[in-house]
Amino acid sequence: MNEQTATEPTRAEQARKVALAVQGVSKTYGATRALDGVSLEVTTGAIHGLMGGNGSGKSTLIKMLAGVVTPDEGKLALKGDWIDARSHTPARAKAFGLHFVHQQNSTFPDLTVAENLALGRGFESTAVRSINWSAQKARARQVLDRFEIDVAADTHLVRLSPAAQMMVAIARALQDQDDTDERGVLVLDEPTASLPKHEVDVLLTALRRYAADGQTIIYVSHRLEEVTAITDEVTVLRNGNVASRLIGTEISHDTLVAGITGSTSGTHAGGSRRANDAIASRVHLSHAAGFRETALTLSRRTATGLEDETLLLRAGEIVGIAGLLGSGRSRLLKQIFGAVPRDDFEVTVRSGTVPPSDMRTAMKRGVAFVPENRLREAALPELSIAENLSITSLSEHSRAGWIRPSRERKAANRLIQEFGVRAPSTIAPLTALSGGNQQKVILARWLQRRPDVLLLDEPTQGVDIGARNEIHELVRAAASAGTAVLVVSSDFGELAALAQRAVVISGGEIVDSVGGPLTEDILNDIVYAQEKAL
Amino acid sequence: MSHTQDTTNGPFAASDAATSPAPVDAAEAEQRRRAVRSRTGKARFAGFLEAYALLVLLGVIALFFCFWSETSSTFPTVANMRILLASQAVIGVISLGALLPLLCQEFDLSVGNIAGLSAIMVAASVSSNGSVLVAVALALAIGLVVGGANALIVTRLHVNGVITTLGMSTILAGIILQRTGGLAPASDIPQAMTNFGTGLVAGVPVIFITLLVIAAITYFVLNHTSLGRQIYAVGSNMEAAKLVGLRTDGLRAATFVVGALLCALGGLLYVSRAGGASPNVGVTFLLPAFAAAFLSAASVRPGRFNVWGTIIAVYFLAVLNNGLSLAGVEPYVNDYVNGGALIAGVALASVLYRRRTT
Repeated sequence: MNEQTATEPTRAEQARKVALAVQGVSKTYGATRALDGVSLEVTTGAIHGLMGGNGSGKSTLIKMLAGVVTPDEGKLALKGDWIDARSHTPARAKAFGLHFVHQQNSTFPDLTVAENLALGRGFESTAVRSINWSAQKARARQVLDRFEIDVAADTHLVRLSPAAQMMVAIARALQDQDDTDERGVLVLDEPTASLPKHEVDVLLTALRRYAADGQTIIYVSHRLEEVTAITDEVTVLRNGNVASRLIGTEISHDTLVAGITGSTSGTHAGGSRRANDAIASRVHLSHAAGFRETALTLSRRTATGLEDETLLLRAGEIVGIAGLLGSGRSRLLKQIFGAVPRDDFEVTVRSGTVPPSDMRTAMKRGVAFVPENRLREAALPELSIAENLSITSLSEHSRAGWIRPSRERKAANRLIQEFGVRAPSTIAPLTALSGGNQQKVILARWLQRRPDVLLLDEPTQGVDIGARNEIHELVRAAASAGTAVLVVSSDFGELAALAQRAVVISGGEIVDSVGGPLTEDILNDIVYAQEKAL
Repeated sequence: MSHTQDTTNGPFAASDAATSPAPVDAAEAEQRRRAVRSRTGKARFAGFLEAYALLVLLGVIALFFCFWSETSSTFPTVANMRILLASQAVIGVISLGALLPLLCQEFDLSVGNIAGLSAIMVAASVSSNGSVLVAVALALAIGLVVGGANALIVTRLHVNGVITTLGMSTILAGIILQRTGGLAPASDIPQAMTNFGTGLVAGVPVIFITLLVIAAITYFVLNHTSLGRQIYAVGSNMEAAKLVGLRTDGLRAATFVVGALLCALGGLLYVSRAGGASPNVGVTFLLPAFAAAFLSAASVRPGRFNVWGTIIAVYFLAVLNNGLSLAGVEPYVNDYVNGGALIAGVALASVLYRRRTT
């Protein structure tokens, strides 16, 4: 029926039980084909890795399994019964025994372990329907024993290590499965994204134990090392297609990278450009940039007091920061701007050093910061567009503290014109605009200050494709006017489109650098190569 | 190399126009503009109603009491109008004191007792030494100290504002009780002060004019200065305000301090008008002041707390209560009306806000 299903006949022949199968699933969003006839088989009792770069269709597939996204076509089988994937719903996923555990949001840190376990299924109650706390605790202890989680039932979750919290979340999802044959499938979505290294091992050991016990697990992660260490089989997605299926010993760093990036040579660029070479490539680049002066320098304070330049930006340059989820890429921008404390590096811009934790001085020194989360960190929703624009430049629009409305209005009109903001008027509240236009307002808010350095975090998140291109144009225009731009994006395609070169960050440290011209594949390659090196 | 460089202009200034992005498609923009214009024609009346609904309602109610047989002989009299305007001036000033922290999304539940304590202390002070100047200084000192304490606790110790000011209010109530023993102290308020409190200028109570002046100053500071804009920004999104370099803690602290100063001033005005102070007066200020500050979001600038909306709300509630009292309704009816008006007004404000922003 579908050519994808026939790709691995030898393995399909082997006598094994399939816990979950997906066949020929497609999903199109507007002009984007997120999933293009994807098929997948998960063996019962196996840990099945699901991998793929950004935009590979990985998260669409997970959402489809959860019944949150309805595909355009395709079939789905759980425990052997095929259904039309379009009729799949969250309720059905639950009935089938598909349990989803996401990185953080599913537990309540201020409640106890027992309460967290009970909230998934209902409390033990007494004859008068009040909660029977002793029965509750006893049941919680049972669950904790069964999943071999070594914590007390009445501990508040926030006091547990991140790995233990994750294990409680997993136990909560699985607690009602009967121990016998018909177990469901546990889907773990980036479970280790926020875990420190030693905690990851604790979690992986626990997962291996559950799998050995017969639990089927789908393990979604971008961390090659973990996937190589723990999975029995892997499906790699790329551009909405299955790029490769790997089993057992086929699973290695190189085969995974080849699947994710589509490049045959695996680590062609990544391994060769270690930190030492990075300096050489920087020298080369600064030569190419000619007379342009330095706009931003990050210097590491070393034990001997000597300083080592870890990042150098020249005026007019757009540099990307590439890193995986949890690599500290957003944090680095905030540290440069002074929004979060910075530990061991110094920031210098053209007009002097940027002190740690002092955003006002950072602004005065010509640093601008467009944060990742527009609604939470940038928008002043009730205020008008003009007021949202002028908030970074109030002194420009006022004399002795008095705002001059005509100046403010004129500036606002000029800015929405210049930045192509589609707005009914400058006095409309910001929330009257679409996401893309709001983002242009935020960008204009900062660029009107003609900053020396612009820090951009996910500049086009939640923005439609048209506005995305316009925002890219605006950033390029600012750069060609002399602003040095440091941009973070989880979308490597965006980095490739915007930046001339990129640095790679992992564990909060700049670990590598990539010269231009950038492509999405090269970035994927090098970022994933870094994962192995750590 | 950096100090010789002009950091504000440099290479940017000239290239700006040339590098601006492709403008919005001209035809589309024109169409949009036309749509907006035709909409504004129709919407202007609706917009006016939206902004001044409470004012219109105030007029309607006033007219009703003018013609209702129960009140037509007592309500529309010069004497009653003067009482109305003057008696609410104190509440008006205190409600502005409640409004300021509210703009930063902070509640100051101690407004009533700050005014109450100020009234007690001022009355005692002028009665003993006769100096109005000392009394004024005392009132301002009380505002400064209590407001400063609230501000420090909220911004430095990070205690929730409601809890801080509830605790502060209770402590102030204790101080008032300790000072007065629960009885109104004998007062001997100097003529100069009572003249101010009961005097008229061109037939209008001086104390009402004082309210208008204070409201006007507050309005100008909030709406026409950089400081006011920053306060509104903090109220809109504190995290975003921080990330554009605003001193959010300082701004919140300022609203607590200035708010408390206004409340203390309210206490002073109360003494000058009533010729004394009773220990229970603070409690009676709290709810009407808060009701007015909340109701302000239902008028003038719908969806936003604002100064003139607060003043309108004060008099809206006052006319309602005054008319009903004159008609001889049972006192509990006033409670129903006040509570109902507050809920209805705030519900209206939230509907207006959602309509404006979606």
